[in-house]
Amino acid sequence: RIMPVRWSRYNPSYLEPEVKKESHQKPLEELTEEEREQMELKAVRPIKAAPPSLSSSVFSDPMISKFTNMMMKSGNKVLARSLMSQTLEAIKRKQLEKYHKAPENEKETIECNPYVIFHQALKNCQPIIGLSNITRGGKTYQVPVPLTDNRKRFLAMKWLITECRENKHRRTLMPEKLSQELLQAFNNEGPVIKRKHVLHKMAEANRAYAHFRWW
Amino acid sequence: TLRLICTTTAVQKRNVGASGPEKYTEAFIKKQIEEFNLGKRHLANMMGEDPETFTQEDIDKAIAYLFPSGLFDKQARPLMKHPTEVFPEQRKIQWGEDGRPFHFLFYTGKQSYYSLMHETYEKFLNVQKHQDQLTAQDLPLQKEKRNLAGSRWLTKIELEEMLLEKVSDDDYSRFIQLLQKLVALPCADIEEKYIQKFSKEVPVQLQKVVIEPLQHDERGVAFSTGEGKRKTARATAVVYDNGTGKITVNGIDILHYFPVLQDREQLLFPFQFLGRIGKHDMVCTVSGGGRSAQAGAIRLASAKALRSFVTEKEVEFMRQAGLLTVDPRVKERKKPGQEGPRRKFTWKKR
Repeated sequence: RIMPVRWSRYNPSYLEPEVKKESHQKPLEELTEEEREQMELKAVRPIKAAPPSLSSSVFSDPMISKFTNMMMKSGNKVLARSLMSQTLEAIKRKQLEKYHKAPENEKETIECNPYVIFHQALKNCQPIIGLSNITRGGKTYQVPVPLTDNRKRFLAMKWLITECRENKHRRTLMPEKLSQELLQAFNNEGPVIKRKHVLHKMAEANRAYAHFRWW
Repeated sequence: TLRLICTTTAVQKRNVGASGPEKYTEAFIKKQIEEFNLGKRHLANMMGEDPETFTQEDIDKAIAYLFPSGLFDKQARPLMKHPTEVFPEQRKIQWGEDGRPFHFLFYTGKQSYYSLMHETYEKFLNVQKHQDQLTAQDLPLQKEKRNLAGSRWLTKIELEEMLLEKVSDDDYSRFIQLLQKLVALPCADIEEKYIQKFSKEVPVQLQKVVIEPLQHDERGVAFSTGEGKRKTARATAVVYDNGTGKITVNGIDILHYFPVLQDREQLLFPFQFLGRIGKHDMVCTVSGGGRSAQAGAIRLASAKALRSFVTEKEVEFMRQAGLLTVDPRVKERKKPGQEGPRRKFTWKKR
């Protein structure tokens, strides 16, 4: 049984809020059975308040807000948010430059939407399998282990941020370096993708210990 | 386990039923009940009321009148209640005069819990046998789904009160799992009565809030007010109809009052959700809290005010989007022996 260590001010019967407008306007016939049950449950149970970072506008993206929170230091959300917007602007500028320089037939292949680039880059950085330390008979082995979706996303974002904070020239600013890394990840190149491949190779090498996993 | 900060003080009450065998004999309690009824009639006579229709409320008022007490603790004041409320229900002594226990599961330590588990499992096997009989006769299995949304299982405290015995978290979760398995079977309707003993209705009526009608000011423009709070910030919002989408906070335009984009997004969230951005004007006053808390308070206030302009279905959508609930998260207190609410002092080896 899982013993939760953190507690929340909400009663456990409170459900998560659903912010997107489209999910409320779907007609009844299109819903599957599970969704119908979910709707009935929502009609009876109380619902938690929406957090300040979540909004129904087109511009709010849960992935981007998670990334901004991870970049934030000492609660300075204003700075983190401005860095994020400057990064997205830098990506757009670089892509537009490439777009205008490219010949006619290649213009369609160049992606200009920074949100699409961000999502694709994150997806490319996500590892499929991870390693975990298991101690048997005094020795600690690195055992390959499947990762949950949340863990994959977290690792991808963490690697990007640590990469940008450490391996840069003293004078480059965060938005520029981040946009560079994101574009490289989008094209499946760059140090973050390399780190992911190294992890995969380690997991493949330690394949013999896979039976140590008991979960 | 999850530490429930939000529940009532009922959680902290000791389980008196499980503390030990009864301290008061049955004869004693019967005598107390007789004395209580006689006393009730005497009191009714004294107050000049009819002894037949003298309710508990009247008793309380009479005692408060005859024995006025200035004590602060309500439980320390003079009390006259039915003995079953004063003397809590306790387990009777479970062994006879020769020392032999009555129940066959006495030596397990938790006799009522284990007997309950045995009973429930018996019902489970019954339902399975019934199911097998139906499949043997090639009859269709009934698939009427119980409305799970409207009912909840008994809480651990309620189960403890029912069994008059301490129930641990593990035991409680095992019991709930068994009940859920029982309910999941298609032919569980046979044991409906047994299951109803352990489930309680969650009334939907609790969430019905009265929506105020629109008021009209001198120029004939419809408006409505709403109040909201978040952390220490308190806000009141007045939403006018036939507007241009201007929002004023404490007499200052939102662009100047909230320089951060996130706060302005929060202010516009209810309007954007309903699709009424350019149609309403808003004037709000806010005090206390910080930048984000004030924005959250105004968001709640405007959502409450918009309820009067909108159909009931849309109010339900707003509630499911989390716009109408008060955020209960507040700053956690600092504990003694620690530097902050969670941070401990630096550990020094010597």
